[in-house]
Amino acid sequence: MTKQSNDRNPTSRRQFLKLAAPLALSLTTPVYAMDLFKALDPKGKNEDVQKAKQAVEGLGSIVQSAKGIDYETEFTIGESLALEGFQRYGLPVEDKKLQDYVNTLGKAVAKNSLRPDIAYYFVVVQSPLYNAFACPGGIVFVSSQLVRSMDDEAELACVLAHEVGHVSHKHALHAIRRAKFFEGVGKIGTISMDSEEGRKYRSMIGDLQSVLFDKGLDKNMEFEADKAGMEFAYRTGYDPRGMIRVLEMLEANKDSATIKGSWFSTHPPVDARLERCRQHLALYRDASAMATVKDRFLDYRKRL
Amino acid sequence: MKIQIQRIIFLAVFFWAVVAIAVAQETLWVTSAEADLKAGRSVSSDTVAELQRGTQLSVEAYESRWYRVSTEDGKTGWVYRGRVSETRPEISEGEKKDEGGGIGGLLGGLGGSSVETDAADSARSIRGLSPEAKAYAEKTGTPKQSRDALDQVLSLSISENAIESFLEKGHVGKYAE
Repeated sequence: MTKQSNDRNPTSRRQFLKLAAPLALSLTTPVYAMDLFKALDPKGKNEDVQKAKQAVEGLGSIVQSAKGIDYETEFTIGESLALEGFQRYGLPVEDKKLQDYVNTLGKAVAKNSLRPDIAYYFVVVQSPLYNAFACPGGIVFVSSQLVRSMDDEAELACVLAHEVGHVSHKHALHAIRRAKFFEGVGKIGTISMDSEEGRKYRSMIGDLQSVLFDKGLDKNMEFEADKAGMEFAYRTGYDPRGMIRVLEMLEANKDSATIKGSWFSTHPPVDARLERCRQHLALYRDASAMATVKDRFLDYRKRL
Repeated sequence: MKIQIQRIIFLAVFFWAVVAIAVAQETLWVTSAEADLKAGRSVSSDTVAELQRGTQLSVEAYESRWYRVSTEDGKTGWVYRGRVSETRPEISEGEKKDEGGGIGGLLGGLGGSSVETDAADSARSIRGLSPEAKAYAEKTGTPKQSRDALDQVLSLSISENAIESFLEKGHVGKYAE
């Protein structure tokens, strides 16, 4: 046994030395590592070199999932989740003027977000729940009940900015970064929905639904999105206290509201969020001088 | 003598603090999608330059929500405070830009790989649901109503002018005065 081990060691050491360079190199420049593998084994007949090559390719996928998911994949995940969202929460309110209004406001705050370079889409869905959520890539849902319960445009700006904050920080993707889908190709453009990868993809969307529609994101992500909501709205020119007013409204309605699947069940307790938002408000000394645009908002709210 | 030393130390500390604050605040970056460099402290002033996200600015003054700044290539003017930050923004590569054209907006073209460029080209031709989302919808038996709803959401287009006009009518941000 020992003899066998000793016999194997020199070979392993040689193999290791032979493969160490491309492995190390692959951490920084995988393309060069692949060239090196090709130089070592041009015909692809050396089993060890091919195994190492596969390992490096796998390593590349892990590095990719750790560093970030490409935007096309992120957006497609968002689209898939949005398809589920319509089934779970309701279809868009059929009022183009209202949808245009919410989209214009949402895009205005998104331009002042941490991630202004991507396309954002906003939709008001017919739902009796107090709810809003963001799909990866920038599709944002807000329920008709939540909009109906607000009093001015600054409040809506803060809620939309809160959701934009989730997209900016890629919170939902972070929650599913360990999904099996990302251990394989991890890129949507390369898979078939009928394949094993397709099955993993659908399983990942199932997990994401569970996170966003039922369990909720990590509470620290929600606190971060609340801050982002205040910040992006303020930078656009809206009163950041809109975020606090919405939370106060939710607190006042919590006893009569449906909890399951709403902001009450998927977000941290309202009082904890209020406390943090009030502390954060100290940064905005001229908050009271910022826009609320009550009249325009109420004109659109009447349409619901 | 002791009091004089104390005064000197106090003045030195005070001077250091003033300098430190000035140095810490003298640089800003454009963090919004873009920002206009204006000749005066108002939106109706002439536009000196259109600043891209990530542009570094040196601050010369601050008045009523506007910074007087200079760019590295020597242009000076005023920029609205909501467009800038003390933190340099992260510029992502290969992301789809919102050019007011719905999902047809194209990728940033910031030097991504050839794979990303190909993805950008295919994304440019998409209107409404992407082929991958359609495949997902078919595989999961998503009702037509939901597909149509998403198609409708992704087809909605709001122009940059419409956003500016919206903010102006509401007297929001740089249109507040």
